[in-house]
Amino acid sequence: MATLKLTRREIAAALSGSAVLLGQTPAPPVPQNPALSPDDELKAAREAIHQNSEQLAKFPLPMSTEPAVHFKT
Amino acid sequence: MATIPDDIFFATITEINQKLKAKEFSVRELTKAFSDRLERLGPGYNALALSLRHQADKEARDVDGDIKRERFRGPLQGIPFGAKDLLAYAKQPTTWGARPYAGQVFDYTATPLTKLAKTGAILTGKLAMVELAGGPSYRFASASLTGPGLNPWDRTRWSGGSSSGSGIAVAAGLVTFALGSETSGSILTPSAFCGITGLRPTYGLVSRHGAMPLSWTLDKIGPMCRSAEDCGLVLHEIAGADSKDPATGGKSFYYAPQFSRDLKYVRVGFTPADFGDTAEPAARPDFAKALETIRSLGVQVTEVKLPEFPYGPIISTIISSEAASIFEPLIKSGKVDELADPKQIAGLKAGLEIPAADYLKAMRIRSLIQSAFSDLFDNIDVLLAPSRFGPAPKIWQPLDRPATDRPQPREPGLTALIPAGNLAGLPALSLPCGFADGMPIAIQLVGRPYTENTLLTIGRDFQARTDWHRRRPPLNTIANT
Repeated sequence: MATLKLTRREIAAALSGSAVLLGQTPAPPVPQNPALSPDDELKAAREAIHQNSEQLAKFPLPMSTEPAVHFKT
Repeated sequence: MATIPDDIFFATITEINQKLKAKEFSVRELTKAFSDRLERLGPGYNALALSLRHQADKEARDVDGDIKRERFRGPLQGIPFGAKDLLAYAKQPTTWGARPYAGQVFDYTATPLTKLAKTGAILTGKLAMVELAGGPSYRFASASLTGPGLNPWDRTRWSGGSSSGSGIAVAAGLVTFALGSETSGSILTPSAFCGITGLRPTYGLVSRHGAMPLSWTLDKIGPMCRSAEDCGLVLHEIAGADSKDPATGGKSFYYAPQFSRDLKYVRVGFTPADFGDTAEPAARPDFAKALETIRSLGVQVTEVKLPEFPYGPIISTIISSEAASIFEPLIKSGKVDELADPKQIAGLKAGLEIPAADYLKAMRIRSLIQSAFSDLFDNIDVLLAPSRFGPAPKIWQPLDRPATDRPQPREPGLTALIPAGNLAGLPALSLPCGFADGMPIAIQLVGRPYTENTLLTIGRDFQARTDWHRRRPPLNTIANT
């Protein structure tokens, strides 16, 4: 990924049109579910992956089916 | 200095182009009026990521010179537009809607923006988006560096995402058209919720060079506009091979509705339940009318069944795996915790743990999905379904739970058409088709790969018989911002 090094002055000039300085409507506080701590969120995400895995496992596939790794339509 | 009439903010590309050619106003005057409006109203909807007023003015001056010398470059010449902030624009911040990338600046410009610059279209601003284009998943509309996208039809409702700013800006007349991106629903959803026309091109038709990757095998860039015709005009310019994006298939796109197949030979497949019990009750009357309007175009309408696959688990596994690989440095650095949405943070972290066997199995089933759709398209040409089955939810509503308490539909119909169409790389066009609870609703047309002209012809004829795409958000909603 090619990024560009800018001076502080250049960054300030670039940001002069940014939404932050133009007074974007502040985001309302994210309504957190008190039951879900970051650890619980991670647990839930892992559980979702596990459920996806189970769904995929149920799907019968012929051995000859190759993955669409070089995906072209 | 010519005054720009209010109607111009809601005019189509062709209408504005004619006025520019007739010298009713200059490109600079037009650009200034749109920049003023984008800066004044955009932040009230959380739609603006970055105003490019100064660059736009400079480009507008050059285009005015061309028009003065009668060097006409095509219908997009002088047309103000916006781009989702996942597209790089050299030497300006490109945030991907995410706090960890707030100061990111690239030294190159994304290919679709370079192509549009050559046509004389004027980029007036970068538009807000859901952080990291939604990543593997997100729970709240507020999952963005700029806050939740507020719908111009009702600011207590969500704009849809992840191309939230693009949907809002077109609907509220802040730009004439915008570029968005779709991995699974990110063009169709905000187009439907905001009441605009959006086109998801065939996978590989438009270069993604300079766009944030979320899923290499699913990402697409496409136009979000006022009409099907405008989508055709924009796609005409941004499509085509690019050596910098290996996924581009070497195909071009020429918008030529005049050479499209006679609609009486076009077979449209649908499932009746999608327009009845499956849809939210308030949306059913206008969905039913839309179906009748499609019939009235003279197409052959037939019932169809979507091939049965576990689309949700497949697309979730693919996006989660590819996104976790792409954002591995973000995840491992711990900066992922700076994201706004707790579900997205957890999803990215957990994505690193997906077994390779699961990813490959999903991609193997995906091969079968492609074959199944290829077979389906032996018997029909276009699939028709609601873009979303109801209007935009309230901004506080969790997006990972059903919007209503209604029981799941008895038959799935085409409810999985968004993930299915994305997995198969198919083009889709979302057309506004009415209102439910005062909010826009829309239908989607999905075709086999590279049949954008067929979809656009149906869209153009549908819009010749309806005026939903001409409706504007209530003035008091805009004035109060």
